Amino acid sequence: MAKVLVVAEIKQGVLKSSTAELLSKAKAIGAEAAVVAIGSNIEGLVPELVKAGSDTQYIADDAGLELFSAGPYAACVVDAARQFGADLILFGFSESSKAAAPRVAAQLDAACASEITEVAADNGAFQVVRPAITNKVVQKVKVNTDKLVAVVRAGAFEADESIGGTENVVKLDIPAPDLKAVIKELVSDASGEIDLADADVVVSVGRGARNEEGIALVKELADDLNAGFGSSRAMVDAGFMPHNKQVGQTGKIVAPSLYIAVGISGAIQHLAGMSGSKVVLAINKDPEAPIFNIADYGIVGDLFEVVPILKEELKKVRS
Amino acid sequence: MKILTTVKKVVDVELNIHVKDGAIVEDGLQYVINAWDENAVETTVQLKEQTGAETTLVSIGGGDNTDIIRRCYAMGIERGIHIEDPALDKADSFIYARVLQKVFEQGDYDLVITGKQAQDTDNGQTGIILAEYLGLPCVSNVIGVEVIDDKHLKVSRAGDAGTEIVEVELPAVITVDVSINEPRLPQMRGLMMAKKKKIEVMDLAALGTSAEEIGCAAPKSEVIEFMESEKRSGGRKFEGDPAEVTAQVVELLASEAKVI
Ligand SMILES: Cc1cc2nc3c(=O)[nH]c(=O)nc-3n(C[C@H](O)[C@H](O)[C@H](O)COP(=O)(O)OP(=O)(O)OC[C@H]3O[C@@H](n4cnc5c(N)ncnc54)[C@H](O)[C@@H]3O)c2cc1C
Repeated sequence: MAKVLVVAEIKQGVLKSSTAELLSKAKAIGAEAAVVAIGSNIEGLVPELVKAGSDTQYIADDAGLELFSAGPYAACVVDAARQFGADLILFGFSESSKAAAPRVAAQLDAACASEITEVAADNGAFQVVRPAITNKVVQKVKVNTDKLVAVVRAGAFEADESIGGTENVVKLDIPAPDLKAVIKELVSDASGEIDLADADVVVSVGRGARNEEGIALVKELADDLNAGFGSSRAMVDAGFMPHNKQVGQTGKIVAPSLYIAVGISGAIQHLAGMSGSKVVLAINKDPEAPIFNIADYGIVGDLFEVVPILKEELKKVRS
Repeated sequence: MKILTTVKKVVDVELNIHVKDGAIVEDGLQYVINAWDENAVETTVQLKEQTGAETTLVSIGGGDNTDIIRRCYAMGIERGIHIEDPALDKADSFIYARVLQKVFEQGDYDLVITGKQAQDTDNGQTGIILAEYLGLPCVSNVIGVEVIDDKHLKVSRAGDAGTEIVEVELPAVITVDVSINEPRLPQMRGLMMAKKKKIEVMDLAALGTSAEEIGCAAPKSEVIEFMESEKRSGGRKFEGDPAEVTAQVVELLASEAKVI
């Protein structure tokens, strides 16, 4: 039986949904599933890790692991993978995963696959499916090594609520900090806000909103809908929106029930991050904007006019 | 400071890409410098302007890379190495990293700058694996670089919890995001000068290694099939009186799409 190690995604002490999704996938392919959780003050998460479907929980819990640092983080995953004898190591989709996975693969002499949407074990040989060339094509990739490290694209797998696990906690030794790449400061720009990756509705703002005033208007719409608030790269580069709000090929990948693109043209790099959304609503004053080619509903109009009306109309139907 | 910068020739993603019989249709494709690598080159040239750093670029594969290497010369890179060998046809990130390791070891470099990913594979692995092979510190997804002294950089990394300010000891590898800078446009004069500059083209033997040593025959993974990606199709577009069309769309979101 294949052995799958899932790297738990923990943000601000909260276990993210990707962990249960990846563990469900592990069990669906008939594997024995373990989880490795890395962070500070996380032992309280063990019951949740069990419920998510793991049968062994490797825990690296130390104050020194509070801030993400790729070296020690990868060392914990490698340690757990070796102890467990993992054939497949799955990471959720995040910047931390993207930084750690290639290190883990290099250390384990395993293959490495980024942003996979499917994985199958065929006679012990893994095959994965993943988008490439800015989502313009899909590749089927054959793995030639017996071990594979993969980062799973956000929203690729669904959690199976009916599975469960057993508690079997293994404490990992805490690796030394990386003294050659030292985090001096974290300029946090999103704590407390709704995580884009989890949000059921995402409202994103683009260059069409022009300035702080425009952004505030669109943000109100997001707040009314209890939605995650994202951005195109144009607004990030202009310094109006924080980097970790960027949706797209170089930013977050989201797949909410409803994605509202406000003043966003629909460049392929932006679409790469949101085309998995169930329903897309676009507001743009240019009837030829490419975003309309992929939007289920498009309103051609000036966002400064449309958004206030949209807010009122939404209030009406929601009350 | 000596900087080694990696540059890959990749397919232009802004053009249509078609798939037939499990392979990409070559007809009509155009090739350009990888977007993130252009930012890596800009970062390198800025560091050269600030510190007098020596700049070398290396490009692996791609056939005739004269155009993109000249473009980098015109941006300010001083020396260009192009590794071209049929044994590299099936190279994966690990094989690229092994080749880069060879280049690095021959040059006494202090810093490697790569784009954070290549737009043809979107893997984002090579720079990080190179650092592992070299046993060097690595910061990925970098959006800002400052020189502290000739042994240390202060870099900003776009991380999950916000922007991480990291002090990194040289030699090191950094992989940069497109947000780090706006690459300069090469000037006519620079492009003319670039034509006179030599490009060092070498195969694996000239690099002092071999397909066996690099492990070319055994890529850890290989693409066996390409497929068209699922395309979203457009739905309905509403034009007219903002109040009217907006009310109409909200009604549809509730009754038809059932998402609010
Ligand atoms: C390697 C690479 C990676 C990239 N990664 C990403 C990424 O991850 N995410 C991303 O988003 N981009 C990314 N980009 C950038 C991308 O190509 C586009 O430049 C960017 O998405 C444009 O942002 P925008 O749509 O907000 O701006 P624009 O393209 O300028 O569009 C603004 C839109 O607003 C509309 N508008 C203007 N005024 C109004 C108004 N009053 N009311 C209504 N509509 C109005 C305009 O009609 C226009 O369609 C990347 C680019 C490269 C090269």
